[in-house]
Amino acid sequence: MALKVDYVAREVGSNLRRNVTLTLASVITVFVSLALVGVAFLTRTGVQNATQRWQGGVEFIVFMQPAASEDQISAVQEALDESPQVDSVDFIDQQEAYEEFTDLFADSPEMIQSVTPEILPPSFRVEPTDKDVDVIRALGSEFESKPGVKQVVFAAEAIRTLQDFSRLLSLGLFSGALVLLGAAVLLILNAIRMAMFARRREIEVMKLVGATNWFIRVPFMVEGLVQGLVGALLAIPAVIGIINFIESKLTDTETINLFQGFAVHSSEQFGVAILLLVVGCLVGVIGSFVAVTRFLDV
Amino acid sequence: MIKLENVTKIYKNDVVALREANADIQKGEFVFLVGPSGSGKSTFIRLLNHEEQPDRGRIFVAGKDIGKLSHWKVPYLRRNIGCVFQDFKLLPNKTVAQNVAFALEVIGRPKHVVRTQVPAILELVGLAHKAKNMPNELSGGEQQRVSIARAFVNRPLILLADEPTGNLDPSTSVGIMRLLDRINRTGTTVVMCTHDAGIVDTMRRRVIELDHGTIVRDQDRGVYG
Ligand SMILES: Nc1ncnc2c1ncn2[C@@H]1O[C@H](COP(=O)(O)OP(=O)(O)OP(=O)(O)O)[C@@H](O)[C@H]1O
Ligand SMILES: [Mg+2]
Repeated sequence: MALKVDYVAREVGSNLRRNVTLTLASVITVFVSLALVGVAFLTRTGVQNATQRWQGGVEFIVFMQPAASEDQISAVQEALDESPQVDSVDFIDQQEAYEEFTDLFADSPEMIQSVTPEILPPSFRVEPTDKDVDVIRALGSEFESKPGVKQVVFAAEAIRTLQDFSRLLSLGLFSGALVLLGAAVLLILNAIRMAMFARRREIEVMKLVGATNWFIRVPFMVEGLVQGLVGALLAIPAVIGIINFIESKLTDTETINLFQGFAVHSSEQFGVAILLLVVGCLVGVIGSFVAVTRFLDV
Repeated sequence: MIKLENVTKIYKNDVVALREANADIQKGEFVFLVGPSGSGKSTFIRLLNHEEQPDRGRIFVAGKDIGKLSHWKVPYLRRNIGCVFQDFKLLPNKTVAQNVAFALEVIGRPKHVVRTQVPAILELVGLAHKAKNMPNELSGGEQQRVSIARAFVNRPLILLADEPTGNLDPSTSVGIMRLLDRINRTGTTVVMCTHDAGIVDTMRRRVIELDHGTIVRDQDRGVYG
């Protein structure tokens, strides 16, 4: 049977207008819960990106001053090569550091423009033979005082901080989001129930003259869908705004050592946007589906 | 057109609203359902419309056993049955024409059908000039005409009327009965509950009398009591 688009649109529009406060409550709840989901996801992704250079057993990184001389660099290189506790060393010169940087910040040309190879620190990524934390710490500290060395950053510390932060944050955000998503489903369910109550006369007549169940239900389900969708559409720019804000806070050149990699690619943002749209629509459809099946019977 | 075979309806509170009822109503008949309040007249009508299901017995409408009807087919049954009530059940926020059009739109009739059928049926019930009025601007008799127009606009095989004149004065009731008679003459089977002895006695149609859920009389060209 033909379910006309203009009929559904008209019904949904007038229902939404009639129930502004309830609709608003549902939309805001969907919006907030999805924003939490999105931020949680993207912080996780950002942290994962940030810890990428710590892969392959690298336990600490010796950052040289950007202005360190050739002699200073080769002195450190030699010391590392000669140390029996060092398994392998990977030297990242300024040009390579710059390439990594441009790779990570491919999405933000203004970040790339603010940086030249000359201001980035060259660094040694060190994989020690002994994985014991104290041994690594003692080994790394030896290099801290060497001329030309800016800082030694330990993986254990850096990664643990970051990962704890990210785990806790996303866990907190996810559980908050889950509760709110449940609330959103209930709010939408209630909004749809109220809409059906407001239209009980129409519904009675529709049943009487032989409108099909789906004909009666679809406008209400679309109404729920719209509420979820609008919540998601509000959440997406909010999430991207928050993430960009976090990025800009964490990636200024001062804290570059630790957080250099905290960046979320636009493809990852796009993926999360799709996820939020899907979850928003699901919340709307589930809430309204329960409402129409529980409270709308022939 | 309508056939009841040993139909018993017991509500949840153990009220036996219809007991072993048998009736056979032919196409094009006009039947009055009479009986005291609570005798089961409205129940009879609701059973035909599949608003209620019998506890025992079988009901045939247009040759189909409606007890065997699957859930999703009920709306299609109802498209063959127009319903008219004592309280009209008009939508207060729609005009007369929109109220009638609504019945066609919600069963997916195309726009051009709605455009031609609505004025035609309003003409038939004598309300063409009130098409743009709201229901609360009409008299009770006029509102009932609108509800009859809505019930009949899809040209159903059967028209069920539950005390259609219950809220109307005698002279207005006569007008409504003329209309129902006219609809009946188009071949539509009409089943009507009423407490109005005057109407039953002047029309002299088939009368089925109920008492405490039992059919106590089924008489052609009958009178009220
Ligand atoms: N939904 C229901 N639930 C329980 N009992 C009901 C229900 N509908 C009707 N009854 C009972 O069934 C009996 C028959 O009711 P019904 O409405 O069919 O009578 P009626 O003949 O139409 O009466 P009236 O002339 O007053 O309209 C009554 O005793 C009534 O109380
Ligand atoms: Mg009754």
